Amino acid sequence: MTFNLMGSLIYRHNRITRCTHWINALALLILFMSGLQIFNAYPHLHWGSKAEPEEAFFSIYAATEDGEIRGYTQFFGWRVETTGLFGVQHTEMGPFPRAFPSWVTIPGYFWLAGGRRWHFFFAWLFALNGLLYLIYNLASGHLRKFLLTPKDITKILPMILYYLRLRRESPQEGEYNPLQKMAYTGALLVLTPLIVLSGLALSPQLNVAFNWLPAMFGGRQSARAFHFLFTFFFAAFTFGHIVMVVATGLLNNMRSIVTGWYREKQSSESPGTLQPLNPSTLEPLDPETSSSLSLRAEGLKRSEDDSDTERPDVAPEKANIQTPEEQSINGSKNEDKSLNPENLQGSEDNSEGKRSNDEKK
Amino acid sequence: MKRNSSVISRRKILLGALQATGLLLLSGCENLFNQLHQNKKVLSLLESVEGLNRRLLRLVTRKNKLAQEFSEKDISRYFKPNGNPPPFNMQYRINATSGWPLWRLEVGGLVKQPGKFSLEEIKALPARAQITRHDCVEGWSAIAKWKGVPLSEIMKLVQPQPQARYVVFYCMDTDEEGNNFYESIDLHDASHPQTILAYEMNDQPLPVQHGAPLRLRVETQLGYKMAKYIQRVEFVADYKQIARGRGGYWEDRGYEWYAGI
Repeated sequence: MTFNLMGSLIYRHNRITRCTHWINALALLILFMSGLQIFNAYPHLHWGSKAEPEEAFFSIYAATEDGEIRGYTQFFGWRVETTGLFGVQHTEMGPFPRAFPSWVTIPGYFWLAGGRRWHFFFAWLFALNGLLYLIYNLASGHLRKFLLTPKDITKILPMILYYLRLRRESPQEGEYNPLQKMAYTGALLVLTPLIVLSGLALSPQLNVAFNWLPAMFGGRQSARAFHFLFTFFFAAFTFGHIVMVVATGLLNNMRSIVTGWYREKQSSESPGTLQPLNPSTLEPLDPETSSSLSLRAEGLKRSEDDSDTERPDVAPEKANIQTPEEQSINGSKNEDKSLNPENLQGSEDNSEGKRSNDEKK
Repeated sequence: MKRNSSVISRRKILLGALQATGLLLLSGCENLFNQLHQNKKVLSLLESVEGLNRRLLRLVTRKNKLAQEFSEKDISRYFKPNGNPPPFNMQYRINATSGWPLWRLEVGGLVKQPGKFSLEEIKALPARAQITRHDCVEGWSAIAKWKGVPLSEIMKLVQPQPQARYVVFYCMDTDEEGNNFYESIDLHDASHPQTILAYEMNDQPLPVQHGAPLRLRVETQLGYKMAKYIQRVEFVADYKQIARGRGGYWEDRGYEWYAGI
């Protein structure tokens, strides 16, 4: 939560990343809320192609017991009373049967047709925006940086141990650590396509066009259940994402995703184990404020010809294997990493440093 | 670790602030979205993707490709009879209990050979039986076996004129306010081989709650398009002058005319 004014500003998110991020955030919020409105029209989930009422494995419903209307949420044989939240909502006119409460649905009142209008409009926005993001990140090679490889899978446990302070060295190589790669690959490249496909599998027309679409989920009703389930997985990811944003510096993170500029942290009490000691770390920082201004200018210059944090002189093949000083520049997405002051020097100096480092290897 | 404790307290303050804004946002959101939804411009913007959906989804569907057909064992034990209650008038009741002697299907509009068909005459036409899944806009699905005359067979008899673009189905059922149910499909869906006027459900005469004596099946669309209790079929160039002008009872109440999604 430190908001260090001493760090240097780097241009971390380019315009496309920032725009697609916020369009995506808006689209997902509206898709989620309008989706709950649609769910409310039939608040039961089934397995297979059809919905036999007694075979629902998940239900939200209202029932009158002891002369009182109560809301229940049922999952197989397991039932909990959820009056006030799910099943029955307290309104000004008394308790009202409603699966998801009005404050999480679009529109707030019960209207399936309205919910569908919002859902389909923002589904288009989400799809086109996601496509732009995907194409851009494939073209720029950024996608590869957070793609989970089999090699990364073996590093997941060491990374957890490192976070639990049971391991001294971070197994991270490159911009994203193995856990981040797992989260981003899982959410963006596995969960998102599955949400889209299970949603498309609900369309009668597309069921005719592609028989395999509902079949791959076990039937149209299963597809509906998966669409719902995957959505909540994604919501869990989003929750984790927001927690991390807050935990690693809300203001700084927000600035970088709004303006693009991120202030690298300089922590005097950084544990030495986080970063391999580099001779340049021992060099004193330039305390002059004028230098940080010139850095800002440099960052601006860089942002013009380079859309990503990646430097143009680094070959894409090498982008994954990064030297410690590169980590300190690009690895700023990671948590409380101590910063090595070398990035205060010009980017050209850095790339030279990288080249010599590569030669050493 | 003095600094650490201050970090934690600041974190707490920020988290608290975030929670408060979250709650404010939620209650504000509900009103905001409700107001946005009342706005005609916003609503027409939201509705603008309907045409996109229709074009894209039809583009990827091979012409006359059949919807999945199931086997007898897949037939639903329970099939929810949704929509308006069955017509509640003497003529309908008497007809329903005596095998529809007075009921006629009137086919007209932009056709060369308008006609009236008794149920017996319709049953004498080439028939098609199919076990298909009915997808309700609410979210549930049910499977049943339907038998009826393909709409294309009726079209062969009445011969729609070139300017006919839509088929409108006028029904006998009404809502509490007395509004008659009606629906429309275009000739693209009308000529699909699985688009039938069904008079049998699960090898029995079509039950009253499922639209006796005749209902529409359009297997590429949601259930609300499949008009029940049909008494008149009209071929038209446009549906704008019918009722509230949006092509159907549910369409007049905000639902999409294109119900393939």
